[in-house]
Amino acid sequence: MIHRDMICPFCGCLCDDLVITTEGNEVVQVDNACTLGTHKLMGAWKNRLKNPIMRDGGEWRDASYEEAIEYAAGVLLDADRPLLYGWSSTQGEAQGLGVSMAELLGGVIDSTTSVCHGPSILAIQEVGHPGCTLGQVKNRADLVIYWACNPTEAHPRHMSRYTTYADGFFLENAFRDRKLIVVDVRKSETTSIADEFVKVKPGGDYAVFSALRAIVRGRADVVPDTVAGVSKEQLVRIGAMCKEAKFGALFFGVGLTMAPGKYKNIRNAIELVDELNRYTKWTLTPLRGHYNVYGSNEVFTWMTGYPYAVDFSRQIAFYNPGETTAVDILARKECDACLIVASDPGAHFPKACLEHLTKIPTVLIDPMHTVTTPLCRCQIPTAVNGIDAGGTAYRMDGVPIHVKKFMDLGYPSDTEVIGRIFERIQEVKHP
Amino acid sequence: MTFLFNTGRTSAQGTGLEHKSGPEYREATSVCRMNPVDLMQLEIEAGERIRAAGPGGVVVLRVAASDDIPQGTVFVPLGPYANAVVGAETHGTGMPDYKSVEVEVEPTDDPVPTIDQLMEAVGGLAYLEEER
Repeated sequence: MIHRDMICPFCGCLCDDLVITTEGNEVVQVDNACTLGTHKLMGAWKNRLKNPIMRDGGEWRDASYEEAIEYAAGVLLDADRPLLYGWSSTQGEAQGLGVSMAELLGGVIDSTTSVCHGPSILAIQEVGHPGCTLGQVKNRADLVIYWACNPTEAHPRHMSRYTTYADGFFLENAFRDRKLIVVDVRKSETTSIADEFVKVKPGGDYAVFSALRAIVRGRADVVPDTVAGVSKEQLVRIGAMCKEAKFGALFFGVGLTMAPGKYKNIRNAIELVDELNRYTKWTLTPLRGHYNVYGSNEVFTWMTGYPYAVDFSRQIAFYNPGETTAVDILARKECDACLIVASDPGAHFPKACLEHLTKIPTVLIDPMHTVTTPLCRCQIPTAVNGIDAGGTAYRMDGVPIHVKKFMDLGYPSDTEVIGRIFERIQEVKHP
Repeated sequence: MTFLFNTGRTSAQGTGLEHKSGPEYREATSVCRMNPVDLMQLEIEAGERIRAAGPGGVVVLRVAASDDIPQGTVFVPLGPYANAVVGAETHGTGMPDYKSVEVEVEPTDDPVPTIDQLMEAVGGLAYLEEER
């Protein structure tokens, strides 16, 4: 069977033009997707956990959904400071239930945002977000900057759908007319196709943004001969390209948010874009990783007023990244239970955090055997959104897209499982 | 020798994401890319192993040579191996230092641990699918 116009549930590009061919319960062909999306769609049905599993002393045993859901609810009800973490690879409907559950439990809910573009949000809260949809970039941008990111490997279709290799409605010959600047600490596949590759010394991004801001303001005289390994000559050339562009789009990755300076790097990037908007049109967009991490920020914000790291222990929504973020709570050994949904802190959190996860009752809701599996006491497999479940996801530019289901493997969705855990909690908290 | 430790996404790491218990993901995330000149100075060759010690701990990695990696820096894809080295300090931002961390690197003959061994070392219990 051929399924057209399907949505790829891998990265924040949420490509919406996939053609997926299935034979029974098997995906046999995926057209239009990148290597990452193809791999996920072709293989996801193979590597599923068959049923819930629970730890029994020193070994694992199979469990029923009823037993695992009862256990998860009990763990959360018994906890004084439960942490509900993850939420980026699941549907918006499940995220909403998670927020309601965290509020009722008086717990903390945080998404993977805190270890990807959390610092970008902190900067946006300080100085605003000059953003636009990817359609605007595709059709108008004649200069694109990728800063501290490698879309060729992390968002492989970003360039063909929205920038370098895409046609543009307002560009006569988009491929020729659209210039590309790549800023990174190392050469990569993306840097090799750039019109200008700016190689910055690690940790030097903030200084380079400051130098460019000075040049754009007409104060090149205060810029030294080299800034973080970049020659003044190149910076002046780039400053001129940015001012001469009709529509510029700056995309950046976690190379800025994870590096020294963190949110201050992003703040400086936004202020450069602000500066450029005095001369021409410029926008800025973080390259979001998980396909619905942006959705977690949207859902959390419209329900609590805050985009991630929301603490309900005061009976009101409280937000203080650095204190209420998952890594900090785990490193301080503060939470006494953890529910992890659709994410893999085992693969992405520092070791000190993982040590605490193994000491408290941790429940994982995830379709596959992941690096977090050995760290938890109970895992509940669910359907994969975009394969055997459907729901809402937000693209990296904030456009909500309905991710479609095209097969049924008999697994409940995240929304169903979390809904059932929430029902048990409500029965106790609001009998 | 002291190096600046960088992590990041790679397509091999990305394609392994949906089957993290498989050998591809382990191979993709346990590799440390270094400049060939640095390999010469450490007197090791590509394919051999190093021990990297950072603020979060120590891990053994397999080395690959890459001209794209600047001298004095090493690149390890995002994953459980990189995180064995990263510390949990977030400087009040919620974000640990995944980039530009100082690490001490030395050659070793120790084997690269499996992901299950890494997780058991922090107190976890491996789940072995083949036994089920």
